Amino acid sequence: MSDAIVLDRVRKSFGDFVAVNDISLRVPRGSIYGFLGPNGAGKTTTIRMMMSIFYPDSGSINILGEPNSEQIKDRIGYLPEEKGLYKNMKAGEHVAYFGRLKGMSKKVARTKGDDLLRKFGLGDWIEAKCKALSKGMGQKVQILATLMHDPELVILDEPFSGLDPVNTEVVRDLMLDLKRQNKTVIFSTHVMEQAEQICDHVVLINKGHILLDGPVSKVRSSGGQTVQLDYEGNGAFLKTLTGVTRVNDSGQHCEFVLASGTDADDLLKQIVGRVKVRRFDTREASLHEIFVRAVGGDTIKQGAPNA
Amino acid sequence: MRKSLLIAQREIMAQLKTKGFWIGIFLFPVIITLSIAAPVFLERSKSVRTYAVRDSSGWLAAAVEREAAASDTRRLLLEAQKRAVEKKDLETLPPVLRQLAPVAAKLPPSQLDSAARALALGDTMALGALNAENRAAVLAARGEYKAWWDTATARSIRSVSSGPSRAKYARVPATGDLNKRVADEELFAYLEIGKDPVKDNSGFTFVSRNLTDEDLKDWYENQATELVRKRRLEQERISPKTAAWLTNETKFTQRTVSETGEQAAVGMKDRLRQNAPMVFVYILWISIFTITQQLLLSTIEEKSTRISEVLLSSVSPVQLMSGKIVGVATTGLLMIGTWVLTAFLAVKFIPRLLGAPAGMDFSGIMSDPAFIAGFVVYFLLGYLLYSAILIGIGSVVNTIQEAQALMTPIMMLLMLPLLAMIPIGRDPNGTFAKVMSYIPPFTPFVMMNRAAGPPTMMEYITTTLLLISAIVVTLWAAAKIFRIGILMTGKPPKAREILQWIRTPVGMTPGRREE
Repeated sequence: MSDAIVLDRVRKSFGDFVAVNDISLRVPRGSIYGFLGPNGAGKTTTIRMMMSIFYPDSGSINILGEPNSEQIKDRIGYLPEEKGLYKNMKAGEHVAYFGRLKGMSKKVARTKGDDLLRKFGLGDWIEAKCKALSKGMGQKVQILATLMHDPELVILDEPFSGLDPVNTEVVRDLMLDLKRQNKTVIFSTHVMEQAEQICDHVVLINKGHILLDGPVSKVRSSGGQTVQLDYEGNGAFLKTLTGVTRVNDSGQHCEFVLASGTDADDLLKQIVGRVKVRRFDTREASLHEIFVRAVGGDTIKQGAPNA
Repeated sequence: MRKSLLIAQREIMAQLKTKGFWIGIFLFPVIITLSIAAPVFLERSKSVRTYAVRDSSGWLAAAVEREAAASDTRRLLLEAQKRAVEKKDLETLPPVLRQLAPVAAKLPPSQLDSAARALALGDTMALGALNAENRAAVLAARGEYKAWWDTATARSIRSVSSGPSRAKYARVPATGDLNKRVADEELFAYLEIGKDPVKDNSGFTFVSRNLTDEDLKDWYENQATELVRKRRLEQERISPKTAAWLTNETKFTQRTVSETGEQAAVGMKDRLRQNAPMVFVYILWISIFTITQQLLLSTIEEKSTRISEVLLSSVSPVQLMSGKIVGVATTGLLMIGTWVLTAFLAVKFIPRLLGAPAGMDFSGIMSDPAFIAGFVVYFLLGYLLYSAILIGIGSVVNTIQEAQALMTPIMMLLMLPLLAMIPIGRDPNGTFAKVMSYIPPFTPFVMMNRAAGPPTMMEYITTTLLLISAIVVTLWAAAKIFRIGILMTGKPPKAREILQWIRTPVGMTPGRREE
């Protein structure tokens, strides 16, 4: 099966500022594809070019077999980073309206919209004006409006921002559900844990170019082994241990990248007795570690070609 | 197309749900009703002005009172005559007037004055001018009339007609400290009459705290002037006839020429027709402006709530823009349709309902294609031109405040046709009017303004073609600006940047650094 999206050396600049610098990538059909990168990396610009909201200065885009998404808008569901609702429209009307804009009939759009809202716990809010919804509810309404017409390709720009853990889980399940229906899902985020959990494939973008690209398992294994520690107590000394090249300490959890020649035993010896160890094991580096490492390295070798 | 219509439909529903739309629909009829009814109503509800006169001449005040009684009686007789002829509302007249009504109905205009003088003043000379039958009727009613007149209140006279001076002014004896009585607002004013009015105006004063309402002063001056002039003529032994001839002003009778070249008299209708275009220009201006404002607001709303990007993933910028323009135009047409209808009904029925003369017949104007069809066509064309400009502005700004800064030059431009309204109305086919007609932003207003001229068919065609080409160009430029502006955040672009957007072909995004 062909890829859902193929970008070939796509470049976009705004004045002197190069937002996207010769990006090439392939999004396989039926996968969940994560766009990772810090703020301002060029994720939104890339996504907007996929949607033909912006046009690339050079390079080519192929989306569901078409060079331009304008003709196939009805086959795509798109949730922009800046999410808006018509404040004075009712939630049910709003969802139905976007379904109709994608070509659904009035009746079908209304029934399906109400069903979706009920299914996602917004049954009591169908007749409520959008301005009465909380931020999380509003965001769910927007995501549902994006999925109303059963698109084969779903592009979500920062779908998790502003969601509480319960709603985060709802949206995550929704994305996994789409994958089970063999739909292609692309989403951008800068929260690595989310990507790690659900993506089949990730691409890491920084300063307009790709640092890493590939299936999650492959990307993670490229990061080498790390030691994971769960602990209690004052972990301030953890950053001063020897034989360690990097430490990601988050208070009760710490990830160590060992220097060559050091093994986990040496590390454990240094830790025992100073904090209470709850868990200690070795495994593949987290995406967070890989991300920080890649972005950090990129900052040092500025202007370097893709890593 | 389907998508544009969906957008238009949503726009209509959203507009119908706003308070502004319904206020617009209902406020206008209320305003027009009030503006027609208010003068009638105000005149009726004006309180009676109480005044006193301190007369040093010994004769003038009494004479004014007698003349006023005669002329008031004449007005009352006229009213009775009218009701008798129309056989309407006779029963609401006071008994003595009801009794006089059949007599009044038969009085020729030349005898009305004499009958009034005979009734009010017991003037025997006036009685002599009447024929035997009328004289007998007047003589029979005279006593009763005098008794009624002497005791009639302003209110009872006003119930017959608001014309007579007694319905408006009430004279009371000049006793006590008149200044204090004016200060206490017991008196509206007091008048002082000099020793020798025939000689000059010395000693004539009008004392009041109200300096804006000069009706009483004007009325009294007119009455007094007549009487003083009469005495002066007698003193100089000039016959009133000679005096009238001497003071007769030279005047032209206004006539016009019809399209076929025949001379015709000038009626109320012709005057209305000459002035109607200005009213239409004004309504055109207000409607185009209010409605394009709605478009601006709705564009800014979509932009500031960031909904435009979601919309653009389903529709193209051109579909979105055209849908919005069509949707707002539909609600706009609905609104002005209601306005025109209420204006038409109001001028037709309100004066009649209030009993004012229905002298203003607008039906001729309402059925004249130069006005109504012209109005609808120029509304649509003008709306399209200004909607393109405002939607362009709406797409590049983030807030209404930013929009206002950009609106200022547009507002100045829009003021011009309003300022030129009266000069163009006076000279609809003059050079100024003609030149203004060819400037597309002014064409709708100026051509409407000239409708009574009227302009030649050739002018209609060329100016309209020019206007349509301007609309096409403006819409094209607006679409290009809209496409980029609607997604842009941060400070509004500079003019140079906007020009660059217009020059950039579709399929490319001009450079702009995102903030």
